[in-house]
Amino acid sequence: MSNISDTPASLGVDRQTFLKPVRQALGRISGQAVPAPPAVDPQLVRLASASEDVVSLFAQRAGEVGMTVCRIKSDELIRTVSELLEKVGAKRVAASVGSLPQAVSLNDSLRRKGVEVVDWRATPGFAEQYGLDAGITDVHAALAETGTLICSSDAGHSRGLSLVPPVHVAIVRQSDILPDMVDYWARLRGIPGRELPSSQAFITGPSKTADIEGILITGVHGPGQVFIVVVEGV
Amino acid sequence: MSSTPSESTTSGHDTGKPVGLSVNGHDLLFPPLPYDIHARADKATADKQLLDFVHVATYRKDVTRRQVTSAAFGEKHGDFRELGAAIKQHTLDHLDHYIEKFVDNATAAGVRVHFAQDAAQANAICLDIARRAGAKLCVKSKSMVTEETQLLPQLEAIGVETVETDLGEFILQLDHDAPSHIVTPMIHKNRQSVARAFERELGAPYTEDPQELTQIARAHLREKYRKADLGISGGNFLVAETGSVVICTNEGNGRFCTSAPRVHVAFVGIEKLVPTFEHLGVMLKLLARTSTGQPLTVYTHVMTGPRRAHEHGGPDEMHVILLDNGRTEILKPETREMLRCIRCGACLNACPVYRKVGGHSYGAVYSGPIGALITPMFRGLANYPDLPNASSLCGACYEACPVKINIPKYLIQLRAEMVSKRITKWSDRLVYRMWARSLGRSWTYRLGGWAQKLFFRWQARVAGTLELGDPYRSRGWLNDLPGPAGGWTSQRDMPTPPAKSFRQWWDEQNRP
Repeated sequence: MSNISDTPASLGVDRQTFLKPVRQALGRISGQAVPAPPAVDPQLVRLASASEDVVSLFAQRAGEVGMTVCRIKSDELIRTVSELLEKVGAKRVAASVGSLPQAVSLNDSLRRKGVEVVDWRATPGFAEQYGLDAGITDVHAALAETGTLICSSDAGHSRGLSLVPPVHVAIVRQSDILPDMVDYWARLRGIPGRELPSSQAFITGPSKTADIEGILITGVHGPGQVFIVVVEGV
Repeated sequence: MSSTPSESTTSGHDTGKPVGLSVNGHDLLFPPLPYDIHARADKATADKQLLDFVHVATYRKDVTRRQVTSAAFGEKHGDFRELGAAIKQHTLDHLDHYIEKFVDNATAAGVRVHFAQDAAQANAICLDIARRAGAKLCVKSKSMVTEETQLLPQLEAIGVETVETDLGEFILQLDHDAPSHIVTPMIHKNRQSVARAFERELGAPYTEDPQELTQIARAHLREKYRKADLGISGGNFLVAETGSVVICTNEGNGRFCTSAPRVHVAFVGIEKLVPTFEHLGVMLKLLARTSTGQPLTVYTHVMTGPRRAHEHGGPDEMHVILLDNGRTEILKPETREMLRCIRCGACLNACPVYRKVGGHSYGAVYSGPIGALITPMFRGLANYPDLPNASSLCGACYEACPVKINIPKYLIQLRAEMVSKRITKWSDRLVYRMWARSLGRSWTYRLGGWAQKLFFRWQARVAGTLELGDPYRSRGWLNDLPGPAGGWTSQRDMPTPPAKSFRQWWDEQNRP
């Protein structure tokens, strides 16, 4: 396994040459045993727990970082999303392919209301997404403690829909809201043998900068507005 | 809780004078060696506008850090810092193991891992990747490591247009300026200089509105993302267990640079490793709150390999260049703790010296207290003899550090090394030696105190400031001492000792 890259040796060094000064500084030899790393005690690290009203906490924290949250029942999803799109003047949108949007035939329903819904999978990369007014995605999880959305990449979820369009509408299942990041890692571990997605984006607010004189501006490169629709009871 | 510290309404500075010291970015971070801090520090302290900017910005960030960490962690804060420190220390103590683990797992996930012992190797690897990919346009997100290796001019030299996409770094690039803060690179610049740069370099209409300026940058950089065939990022963390690279950004440019182009190259120092996702979680909770007062940065992007066959968007090739570049020198037991640093910038914001002299005075990529430690380690103590002394040893940096690096202790260690290696001037060493001798014995101490009292009180009598009355309380004030002591009186008055000392008072009280 030591020669894993096809870079000619002159451009870098091989793994063992690279590790030699590391081991010298540490006074270790190759393959020497390593004690267990410091235990991450969930009691200490957890800053929010399931005993709290997790949905309200999530809504509060997501609001604090500048995202707009509404809580609805599942039969209100189409109406809510189309109202949001109307509010921001989004005429051209695309949506991720997930069980929640599909269950309500989101794309077809929006098209019937006169919204142009683009099939982002027709072209590779983000090409189709630069011209969108809004990206609609479901999420893989949400964290109450920090008000965070977790968007992972897979066949139905482009890396771009939560990033490229100026508006991001995130649909969050109530049961996907976890109290703390600790719970997310536990959930990942609970899926043995599952290949990790190439991208897991933890999104905590609209795109922001304070580079010019410390003044907060939203919508620098990513979406300037993030709307979260929490669907209760699912 | 003020979760978005940057929400401020600093009033406009309308003098039109550019804030900043120089426009030669390269010399700012790579000055001729040995580096003498005084010229830049004097210039910075004389620049009232720069001082106002840096002081206000850092002070505000420091206050926010205190508020946010105490609101989020409460009584657990100490234990959190302990754990953060222990995680990084453990990983460094067994770094060879975790590097191997990371390389195996990243490789299994489809990443090409490269090993660079120095800056030249790292850049050569990157140039080779760029050539093979036939890259014409590179978009780059913020990375201190690429500042360290001076990558950009080299990419440009082989014909790859390279664009910094972090708003601050983008503006610095247009202005041929250099970052002066690890986290907020253009802390030293005002909106007028941004407006002028955009007008001059992008042909944009002049505006001083930060919102409009940001939109100009957004539109300009979107075109770059569309066309770019190479993306370069740094890495805040590497997760050994999964082979993941993690970047923490706020603007979204980091996600673009790592997702839009066909090839992604991450430059990462070997000290960035953590064992598992659970350990990563602890570090993430500490980093954003300590750095900018956010619960998490807006985008915390965990990348595990290139795009999978079934995925849509993301690079076809992902490379990680692991960089040593002097880190194994610091990895020795005496200094290993310094490598725990997660580059949050809290020590810069807390430091009374950084606030007064700004980042460019440090003459290096890493500024502030942590820069004063690692710069001499990276680039030679004899090349940066002023940096270990550029601290009042007040300990604010240690208190602010989320991974408890004892910065004052190591600054003193470096000072001792400077004396033992005779880097410190002979006259200074002579003074230290005499000082140590006189304080080491009771009679020399008394003699020194007596001589000082006589001299100061005589000076005060000449100056006419000597108060008469209670022999234990009344003193005089000196405002113009001769020689090197003038450094003190140029800033504040020097009080003389009273006529009688504490020892005399003690003897009188205890006389039978």
